[in-house]
Amino acid sequence: MSSSPIIDLRNVRKTFGRKVQALRGVDLSVNPGEVFGLLGPNGAGKSTLVKILMTVIRPDGIEGTLLGKPIGHKPSLARVGYLPEHHHFPDYLTGRQVIRFSGAMTGMRRVTRNRNADRLLERVGMSSWADKRLKSYSKGMLQRIGLAQAMVNEPDLIVLDEPTDGVDPVGRREIRDLLLELRDEGKTIFLNSHLLSELEMVCDQVAIMVKGEVAMHGAIDDLTLDSRRFEIDVQGTAPDWFDAMPNTTVSTHDETTRIVLRTDQAEEIQPLIDRLRSEHRTIIRITPVQESLEDLFMRAVTEDDGTVQGPGGVIKEGRGRQ
Amino acid sequence: MIQTLALFSDAYRLLNARKIFWFTLLLTALVVLAFLMVGIHETGIRIIVWDIDLPINTSSGWSESLFYKTIFMNLGVKIWLTWVATILGLITTASIFPEFISTGSIEVILSKPIGRFRLFLTKYATGLLFVTLQVSVFTVGSFLVIGIKSGIWMPGIFIAIPIVVLFFSYLYAICAFFGVVTKSTIAALLLTILCWFCIFIVQTSETTLLFFVKYQEQEIQAFEDDLQRSKERLAGVEDPDDHERWKFLYETIEVREKNLKEANESNGVRLTHNIIMGALTVLPKTDATIELLERWTIDLSDLPQSNPDTPPPFVTEDGDFEANEQEITRSMSQDLKSRSPLWIIGTSLLFELFVCGFAGWLFCRRDY
Repeated sequence: MSSSPIIDLRNVRKTFGRKVQALRGVDLSVNPGEVFGLLGPNGAGKSTLVKILMTVIRPDGIEGTLLGKPIGHKPSLARVGYLPEHHHFPDYLTGRQVIRFSGAMTGMRRVTRNRNADRLLERVGMSSWADKRLKSYSKGMLQRIGLAQAMVNEPDLIVLDEPTDGVDPVGRREIRDLLLELRDEGKTIFLNSHLLSELEMVCDQVAIMVKGEVAMHGAIDDLTLDSRRFEIDVQGTAPDWFDAMPNTTVSTHDETTRIVLRTDQAEEIQPLIDRLRSEHRTIIRITPVQESLEDLFMRAVTEDDGTVQGPGGVIKEGRGRQ
Repeated sequence: MIQTLALFSDAYRLLNARKIFWFTLLLTALVVLAFLMVGIHETGIRIIVWDIDLPINTSSGWSESLFYKTIFMNLGVKIWLTWVATILGLITTASIFPEFISTGSIEVILSKPIGRFRLFLTKYATGLLFVTLQVSVFTVGSFLVIGIKSGIWMPGIFIAIPIVVLFFSYLYAICAFFGVVTKSTIAALLLTILCWFCIFIVQTSETTLLFFVKYQEQEIQAFEDDLQRSKERLAGVEDPDDHERWKFLYETIEVREKNLKEANESNGVRLTHNIIMGALTVLPKTDATIELLERWTIDLSDLPQSNPDTPPPFVTEDGDFEANEQEITRSMSQDLKSRSPLWIIGTSLLFELFVCGFAGWLFCRRDY
């Protein structure tokens, strides 16, 4: 597989009507074989971006490629699987028919799509319901069929918009495992989800969108690097020499002092521990702390004055298109 | 090709899942079965076991073949297929585009490697599947029932399949357009029926005005003939002292010339007809398309000649015009039949192409 990005987007812009700027120059890249998570508050432009990739929405401006071809190149979509948010498959079809139909629409031959449909029904645990009409399915079952139809064409890239929506905890775990299996098979997965804890478990890279722009982009470990620290709780008040230590903050509460050392290297805190021990201070606990994806997300959506970004795109001032 | 077949297969499944499809098919079968119950004999027609004496009988020149062609055309096609089955067809298919482009349904399809315009056209073609199946069942059924019952096999009636599908496609283009624009099944259905009604009004107005145009032509011709006769009578007066006769003929000529001038100058009907005709030219000709079926299946010379001895149009001595309505109707009918199938179908297809093209353009440009 080529090492060039599967998705490479630059300056994606979209304004709905004349005033609502859904995307304001998004830059993004997704490498082959990784699970990529797209996060953001409601109205940040995530679904719009996904729909532009899938040619459902026409951008006002876009540069870049999908699977090495310009965005909007229809034939390359034969190598993409897509599960939209709030999907609605015709309820007169059975689960098996939905998967086969999706395969046929990508131009797959009957024998292949039928074989894949049987295999995928097994994989998503829907074999026993395969020939029942969709109107008798629960939300979770529909989601499983949706996932199967997105995989029927053996795509290189699978784009999933809220794939665990309506799925019970057991089902979520199964879907999570499935995504990891797909990644191990070399598939690239583009996930759009609100469930940060789940994304944290499966994503190699994330991008956080806020008001139509990418606010953060990278591996979770890299993005949380600055937040990594060690918290050392010590009995008693803080010694004077702490004031001279770099990257350290100290706070005292109820005869307990918390020393926070901004580093992800355990070696760097050893001299401090040695000194505390030499002064016969009681160390209550030492906790390595790393910002969670949720913390990261909240940091991205919180403005400097502490207000959290509300839903919706940016409303342009004045008249006319940008 | 795989994608096109998949879309048609999906359309069939959609129809199959709808009760109204099977209900309409059942009614179609009943209409076909009705052909089994009627027949023609020497004094009239027979319905099941009851004989009803009517002027339509074999003694008055009605052949069995003509009788069945006529009921196939007038009851089967003109009433059942072009009204009842078409309305049921529109009810069944009006939801195709609004449901197709609703949120959640269209995203998956648009993300497939198929162009939007091709997708639109294929979906449009699948919408015609309903009427194609209905009219095929009806025509094949009629062909078999009439053939088995009377021994008369009429393969010519199979022309009904493309003609009725063509007729339905004019309306379905409008329905698809409103479906794409409004995204609402009810709105698409009601607006299509409203447009159909408007087209019907234009067609009826055109036919009605054509009657008056023909009436006026007959009137002018009658005045011209009477004027000519009066002039000939004037020239034939031999006695130069017969002042009363001279005076009468001069006055008659003066009145006829005045009548003729007035008739020639009153071109309001002709002008209105021309305007309506212009409008009709750009609209789909639903009635005329169905009439083509009659033109192509029934030989007019087969029809029994009725009452050829009606009085010709004339002008009374008081100057009143007495028209020959039968002659006007015949002339009108000739006029309508002289309109070429190319003009009828060609201009209607141009309308369909325009409406479909516009709907397709909107479909392609829209964000979903």
